[in-house]
This record gives sequence, C-alpha cells and structure tokens, in this order.
Amino acid sequence: MSAQLTSKVAKPEGSDKRLLQIIGYLFLALISLFCLVPFILVLSSSLTEESSIIEQGYQLIPAVFSLEAYKLLFEFPGQLLKAYAVTISVTAVGTFVGLLLTSMTAYALARRDFKWRNKFSFFFFFTTLFSGGLVPWYLMVVNYLHLKDTLLILVLPLLMNVFYIIVMKSFMAGIPDAITESAKIDGAGDFRIYLRLILPLCKPALATIGLFIALGYWNDWYNAMLFITKQDLMPLQYYLYKMLGNMDGMRKAMISSGAVVDLQIPTESLKMAMTVVAIGPILLVYPFIQRFFVQGLTVGAVKG
Amino acid sequence: MKRSGFWSDLVKYRTLLLMLLPAVLFFIVFAYIPMTGVVLAFKQYTYDGGIFGSPWNGLDNFRFFFESGQAWQVTRNTALYNIAFIIVNNVLQIAVAILLFEVANKWFRKIFQTMLFLPYFISWVVVGAIAYNLFSYDFGMINVVLTTFGMDKIDIYNTAEYWPVLLVIVSAWKAVGYGSIMYLAAITGIDTEMYEAAEIDGANVFQRIFKITLPNLYPTIIILVLLAIGNIFRGDFGMFYNMVGNNGLLFANTDVIDTFVFRALTSSNDIGMSSAAGFYQSVLGFVTILFANYAVRKYDKDRALF
Amino acid sequence: MNHKKKSSLIMLMLVLLLSMVLTACGGNSGNKNTTNNSASNTPKSDSGSSDTSQEVKLKMVLLGGKPIDSDLVFSELNKKLKEKINATVEVQFLDWSDWGQKYPLIFAADEDFDLIYTSNWAFYTDQAVKGGFLELNEDMLKKYAPQTWGNMPQVSWDQAKINNKLYMVPNNNLEVINKVVLYREDLRTKYNLPEINSKETYANYLKTIAANEKGITPFGAKAADGWKWHELDQTLLEENNNFRLIDKRLPTAFKLDDATGKLFNIYETPEFKDLLGYYKDLADNGGWSKNAVTNKNDIWQDMKVGKVASYAHGLGTVGFNLAEARRDTPDLEFAIADIAPDSKKIAAISTQNGMAIHSTSKNPERSLMLLDLLQNDKEIHDLTMYGIAGTHYNPEGEDKFTAGTSPGNYTGFANWGWNSKLNRQDVAYPKEADDIFNGWEPKVFHFPLETFVFDDSKVKTEVANIGNVMVRYGIPLEYGIINDIDKGLTDLIAQLKAAGIEKVQQEMQTQVDAFLAN
Repeated sequence: MSAQLTSKVAKPEGSDKRLLQIIGYLFLALISLFCLVPFILVLSSSLTEESSIIEQGYQLIPAVFSLEAYKLLFEFPGQLLKAYAVTISVTAVGTFVGLLLTSMTAYALARRDFKWRNKFSFFFFFTTLFSGGLVPWYLMVVNYLHLKDTLLILVLPLLMNVFYIIVMKSFMAGIPDAITESAKIDGAGDFRIYLRLILPLCKPALATIGLFIALGYWNDWYNAMLFITKQDLMPLQYYLYKMLGNMDGMRKAMISSGAVVDLQIPTESLKMAMTVVAIGPILLVYPFIQRFFVQGLTVGAVKG
Repeated sequence: MKRSGFWSDLVKYRTLLLMLLPAVLFFIVFAYIPMTGVVLAFKQYTYDGGIFGSPWNGLDNFRFFFESGQAWQVTRNTALYNIAFIIVNNVLQIAVAILLFEVANKWFRKIFQTMLFLPYFISWVVVGAIAYNLFSYDFGMINVVLTTFGMDKIDIYNTAEYWPVLLVIVSAWKAVGYGSIMYLAAITGIDTEMYEAAEIDGANVFQRIFKITLPNLYPTIIILVLLAIGNIFRGDFGMFYNMVGNNGLLFANTDVIDTFVFRALTSSNDIGMSSAAGFYQSVLGFVTILFANYAVRKYDKDRALF
Repeated sequence: MNHKKKSSLIMLMLVLLLSMVLTACGGNSGNKNTTNNSASNTPKSDSGSSDTSQEVKLKMVLLGGKPIDSDLVFSELNKKLKEKINATVEVQFLDWSDWGQKYPLIFAADEDFDLIYTSNWAFYTDQAVKGGFLELNEDMLKKYAPQTWGNMPQVSWDQAKINNKLYMVPNNNLEVINKVVLYREDLRTKYNLPEINSKETYANYLKTIAANEKGITPFGAKAADGWKWHELDQTLLEENNNFRLIDKRLPTAFKLDDATGKLFNIYETPEFKDLLGYYKDLADNGGWSKNAVTNKNDIWQDMKVGKVASYAHGLGTVGFNLAEARRDTPDLEFAIADIAPDSKKIAAISTQNGMAIHSTSKNPERSLMLLDLLQNDKEIHDLTMYGIAGTHYNPEGEDKFTAGTSPGNYTGFANWGWNSKLNRQDVAYPKEADDIFNGWEPKVFHFPLETFVFDDSKVKTEVANIGNVMVRYGIPLEYGIINDIDKGLTDLIAQLKAAGIEKVQQEMQTQVDAFLAN
C-alpha cells in the first residue's frame, strides 16, 4: 500500500512534468522577450542624445549617450517630488478604501441567500454600458460637488469600479457556502463573517484587485487633467504629460511669438524618460507584491 | 404561512444592505446622475439652455453617423476586432497564467511575471512611435533587416491586409501581463487538496491542467468574457489612433466607431453628435450583453452577471 | 410572486430617489443658466464716461504652459493696470497638452473668468454660436477700447463677425499666409540646379535629390495630424490657379477674379487633375516617403539633421527655421523659395488670433479697457509680449529686440491675442524672409469674400462626413499612394457626393450670394 502510494506520487517527477517545464520555460521566455525588448528600447532611447534618435531612430544601445532628458525632468526636483508625493498618497489611500468598499460590495452580491443580489448586480453593471459623456460629469464635479482642485477628486472617481466588484464577487462565489452557514450557526453577523472569515480567504483576489486599483491610481492623469489646476496637487503622470505637451507646444509657440528659438527640447528622449520615471517605482515594489499571487491557499484548512 | 414581506426582508438583509449602501450612493452620484446627460444625444446643445434646457432636435445628431455610408463597416470592424481580442487575449493569458503557476523556479517565475507586465506601462503614444520606427518603409528596422538579407521591403503602412493580424498581436502583447494576473490569482485560489488528490489518482500534469485547473477557471473566464462583451462595440481609441493615425488607406480594415467619430467631429466639436455616437454604442452593447447573460443564465444560473 | 413584486419595490425606490435628485439638479442648472444669461446679454451701457472708481479683479484665460516668470511679469503688469484702469488681472493657463478638452468645459460649467484667448482654430465660431462669448457692439468698443477702434482696419472687424455679430477683438498685425518652401541651397548648387521659383524647378530639385542622395528624403511630408490637404495644395492648387477655398475643411472654392462668387468643387477641376499627375510623378520618383501619410516625425528636426531636404510652411515659421539653422547647423545651408511668385498674396484673416469676453463676465467694460491697453499701450504691450526688459528681452530701437538673459522664462503661451502694430521683431530674423515679406506686402490682394465666414450649423452632418471622406480618399490620392489616379479621383468625387457635398455647396452658395448682395 505504501509502496504503491510512493510510486504514484513519484510519477509526476517523470517525463510529463519535465516536458511541461520545458514548454513553460520556452514559451514564457519567448513572450517575456517580446515584452522586454520594447522596454529596453524605451530605456535606452531615454538615455540617447536627441539628434542621434532623430537620425537613426530608437536604439537598443545608445549610440550617443546623454542624460539631457532626465536633467530636464529633474530641472525642478521639488515639483517632481511633490508630484510623486501626491501620486503615492492618493494611490495608498485610494487603494485601501477602494479595496475595502469593493470587497464589501462584492461580498453582499456573492451571498447566494441574498434575494436582491441580481437586481443590485444589474444596478451596478448598467453604469458600465451607458454614460452621459464628459460635460455632465464635469458639471457634476465642478458645480455640484465643488471638488475642483481638491485631492478628493483624484481619489473618488477611481474608488469603485464595477469590473472589479464583479470579478471579486465571482472569486467570493467560489468559497463554499458551508463556511458562511456554519459561522451563522455560531451566531456571527454578516459583517463579521465578511471581515473575519471571507477576507482572509480571498487574499489572492484582494492582492489582484488591489494591484489593479493601485495601478489605476498610479496611471491616472485624466481626472487631474480635468480638475486640477494647482501645481501642488498635480499627480506624477499628469505632471509629466503636461510637461511634454508644453515643451512641444513651447517650441511652436515661441515661433509664433516672434522670437528665434534658442531652446533645444529633446522631445523624443523626453517621452521615453517619462515612461521610465513613471514605471520605476512600480518595478521596485512589484516583486514584493508578487508573493501574494503565487502563495497557494488551502481552503480546506478553514473548511474543516 | 410565513409572511416574508418586503419590510421583513429589509430587516433580514439589513447588514448586507448597509454594506451595499456606500457603493449604491457612489454609483448614483458618479454614474447615474451624470448619465442623464444622454439626453444630449437628442438635443442641440447651447450654453443658454444647458443640458436640460437646450432644444430637442430629434434624431438629427445621429444622422452624421448613419448617413456616412461607413456605419456598418466601422460597427462590424469594432465588433470583430473586439471578438478577436477577447479570444486571443484570454487564451494567451490563461496559458501564461497556468505555465507561470507550474514553473518550478520561484525566481524565474518572478522575473517572467515582471517582464510580462512591462508593456502595460508603455503608453499607446510611445507604442505607436516605436511601431513607426519598426515598420516604416524607408528607415524601419524590419525593412533594414530585410534589405541586408537581400529580400524585398514590405510596405506595412500601405498594406491594409497586415493590420488585423498586427493589431491583434499588439493588443495581446500589451494585455498579457496585466490579464494573466487575474487568472493567476484564480489558479492560486484553487484548493490544493484537489491537486494532491489528482496526483494520488495517477493523473499526469497535462491531465491535471485540463481536468482540474481549467474547469476551476471557468467561472473566472465566463465573468471576464461577459464583462468584455458589454464593451464589444467600444473600440480602444488610444490603440487604433496611435497605431493607424489618419492613414486612409488602412481604414477599410482598421477604422472602428471611436476613431471614425473622432475624425468626423474634430473640426465641429459637437457635443450632441458625440453623445449620439456614444448612445448608439451603449444600446448595441446593452442588447448584446442581455443576450449573452441570458445564454449564460440558461446554462448555469450562478455564473451570470445578473 | 409576492416576493418578486416586493423585491422590485427596492429598485423602484432607488429609481424614485434618483429621479428626485435629478429633478433637483436639473431645475438648478436650468435656473442658473437662464439667470446668468439674462444678466449677461444686456450690455451695461451706463451713460457718462467709463467709470473706474471701483477696483476690479479680472480673470484672463490664455492657452499654453505657465511661463516660469509669469508671476513676476504679471505683478509688474498689475501695478501699471491699477494705476491706469484701477484693475488687476489674474491669468489662468490652459496647457498645450489639453486645452482642446478644457476650453469647451470651462464654458459649459460657466466658470468664473472675464477674458479668453480665441482664434479660428481655437473654438471661435463654435463658442460664439453656442453663446459662450459676449457680443461686442460699436458703442462699447468706441467707449471702452477707443485706441483699438481707431487703429484696427474695418476689414479686421468684418472678418471677425459671425452672422453679422462680433464676438472678438482680433489682433491687429498683418500676416501673409502664403506658403514658401525651405530647401537645401548647398544641395542645389552641388547638382547645378537652376534657381527654384516654380513648381517645375522645385520638382526638378526634389527628383534630383531622390535620384542622387540616398538616405535623404527630398520632401518632408506630414499629413498625419489630420490635415485634409497636401502641404503644397495651398500654393500649387489655390494660389497658382487663383482659386480660393471658402473653408479649409471643405473642398468648395471660388475664383478670386470672379465677382459673382460662383462656387465649385475644387476636386472636379482639370487643374486638380493635372496637379494629381504632378504629385504622382513626384511620389513615384521618391519625392517623399511612401509613408508620408503616417509620418510621426517632426519634419523640421529631420531637416536639421540632414534627413529631409525640403518642406513647405508659412513664411514666418520658415524664416525662424532659417535663423535657427544658421546658428545651430552652419554646415547645412538652407534657403527659402517662393514657388508661386506671381500669384496673388493673401493677408491672414484677423481671427487667426484674438481675445473674447466671456458672456457671463461681470466686468465686460474693464475687460475691454484691458484689451485696449494690451494691444495699444506701448509699455504694456512690450511687457506682456516680451517680458521684462533686460531679463527676457532687450529692446533694440522702437521695433526690434534681442533675446535677454533668460528668454525661455517668459514665453511659450498665446499672448498673440493682442498682437499689434507695436510688435517688435527679433534682430536675428533673416533678411531674406523679410525681403520676401516686403515684396509680398504691396501685392496683397483684397476681395469681397475675404470677410465671409461660412455658418455650417445647417449642414453639420454633411461637413462631418465630408471631412472624413477627404482624409480617407483625398489624402492618399494626393500623396500618390493610390496607383490609379483616375479611379481614385472618381472614387473621391463619388464619396463626396454620397457625403452630401452638393447640399453643402448649395447652402454655402446661398450664404455667399446673400453676403455679396449686401
């Protein structure tokens, strides 16, 4: 009996597992390479002298090395740091609150014994199909909520996303009803069950949705573009976006102002450097978040 | 008989309803109230009148789209591209997620995952610029390579046939890292006892993937696909515009509703007309999702969106 | 069944709640707008002279990035304004990166501002028609902007009128819009080519370079930014044939010497067909990149590194390019050529740059007074256009300047709204460009339809679709990417018909006839 078991457990060590590993490494390496090369192109172009890019296009290895683009980006380090600070705090607060609200909403919708769950799901989902467009939205925020030039308007619009709520709900629906049932018998309330039992079981889902919410905040420039005019409240992505747009506009504008341009703006390398500056922190943090995705969970342990 | 009336339900579900309250308020304020702006699709917008006081103009705002002779073509392109994106992207993301999960070496797994995520951060503007650097007829890297090997140049920007494939590849490339995370999380959530049981039963790794991993992913797949179907008539403007631009030669194969409307309205900047186009996309999306959801409900009640 | 009914109740309640909130909002916004409107549309025409006893704070919206030293310059300006008209001004900048989105929004939300930059390319007609600007009348202008009224030629006012109503104080600076080409003089002499002064000599230059200079693109074309014409069309199609388009978005033109203003579709003329042959020949001989329509590069940058040998642009810009090249790349020799020297030269229309007053401005009088000073007060004009003397610029005589110690700290935004005869010229501006301009000035041709502006409100649908057809069928045809020109032209014309060109032409003709009858 025991010999039989070992042989069966040992079997996966055989050819099929090795084959899968080979396929896995080759396939992933190939795709990763496809993903990496354009980024290297971006990185190295950001370090290439502008005229060299114009002459020869983007380069995998800088033909003429230059830090000009970064110098320009860091010309006003105070402002750049402030923009980082705005982005980081908005991302932190938004992700935490957003994750809490998203999971709470998702839990209510995932409860099979909740009679109105489909109606509510539809109520939420409907908002993804129809929208009134930019003007009513702008009027709402500026004239009724009076949120122009506040940090709140950077946080609020991205707080909840129907897509995330529904994905979260589907994750939670996978948790056996028995857990909720047995807790109920023990006299636990709905909120307590959500907080103490369900949340710990959804760690991978929470990590995933949390990451998505955080990335949404990190990359958001649109809300800032619409609603932020104060330099001090500008998040990183908008600060960079605005900088590039104005540099580009400046060259054209100077001519119209009747002055002979004496301003060398490395637009191409700047565009690339901006991408690098915006990704940098994420790449540093990402490996630490990753462990949440790859950690296996034993639902059975809780179930028992 | 139990009298399970509305009020007693309200009491019974009070905690769940309270948990839903913030979300309900949020969507009323940030979605439903601004949504009333859809009336602009049927109005001639002026500042004097504002959203509700502007005069109605019937279906006038829709005419530019339906009388263009391109309405069918761009609608079809939008739907076909999105269907292709949904299929290709999801298959690729699932494959990547499964392989990432199976890859034994922890470090490699992290490195692959990080690299796969990079395209997500490269904006479409930059992607478009890189593509031009690769594909351009005169100086593009692809043609430089082809000529050094003595082969004929290919004129990608003037050949419409390449573009559907090209755009599907680019879309898959950009979304692979981001999308596979969702599936990876779902795989991670699968009860490890199941795998152990399968191993004991003598299943090989491929059987395990097809008999346990994939079936356990179905709920996630169905939800993600359903969510994508609701937006099947919305083209990814950033991608199409930055990849194709105003190259009329490619439009038959690449024009989607969003780029078409953008070009038509850049000079007139008409709020009513752009609302009309958006409304058209919404109605099509709504009808499609109702059908898709109905189909899923019939097959499995619990998997449907609503 | 019972529970089904009850559970839909909650949805019903939600809908009720929603509609209550909605009606509340709707009522609000309606009220707000009507009150605003009635208040604003009555120009405050108190009798007596301009009353400046109350100090006011004006808000001005300009396009462009905020210059580093803007606070410095504008606080300087405010000192002077306080003295002269008892007002101060606060400037809000709409960045180049997103002004196109924000501009209509600040009107829609009725944000608080008094003055705003506007232009025929910056929503002038659009906002005027929607009621975003205050209508200006002669009395107001004479009273509050007397210098402007005195200095501005009548034609400039007329050009700024929409349906016979004025909403803008246009800039007052003659610009000629005819295009020239910038080319490489060193390459021309290298191949012993004749002087470039016609479309034939220019084609010869482009083809010679294509044949002999590998790695150089002869003509830098960039149709990619949504432009609906070939870059040489203005010169070779319009000027050379004395044609003139009524509206650049549409292919409807008239003959400059036709007093009756009869309109025709420019694509249907034999001249256009001939020109297509010319373009096709250039395209087939490598005159420009096969990917011109997708080009994403900055052409002037490409020229500076020697990758591109020529391009067409307005004289002003090309003049500055030349000056820049002489300073930065002395090894490449550039020159300017007019390839339609005998054609009629046309002054830019005044709405190219201007300032408008917000329809809900609380201080339209003081705003006009400010505009009057910006455009006509030498001291204030210099300050707002060029910054602080010694820092941002050095005045050279009455009408020239050189760069100051930090010229980059006060530039890059649209202060051109108040361009005027007081503008100075950069000393570095090349003499050739000036000579060409001076040669053109006496040749500037004025014609009755110069002040005609097409009101497209009745044919918006058709205008939108025609624009799309021009981009999709016209541009590839003109850049020679379509092999069979005859078929391409037939297609283009057929598509335009389907898009409703005839209806637009008819509507335009009606308006033109009415205009000329007056």
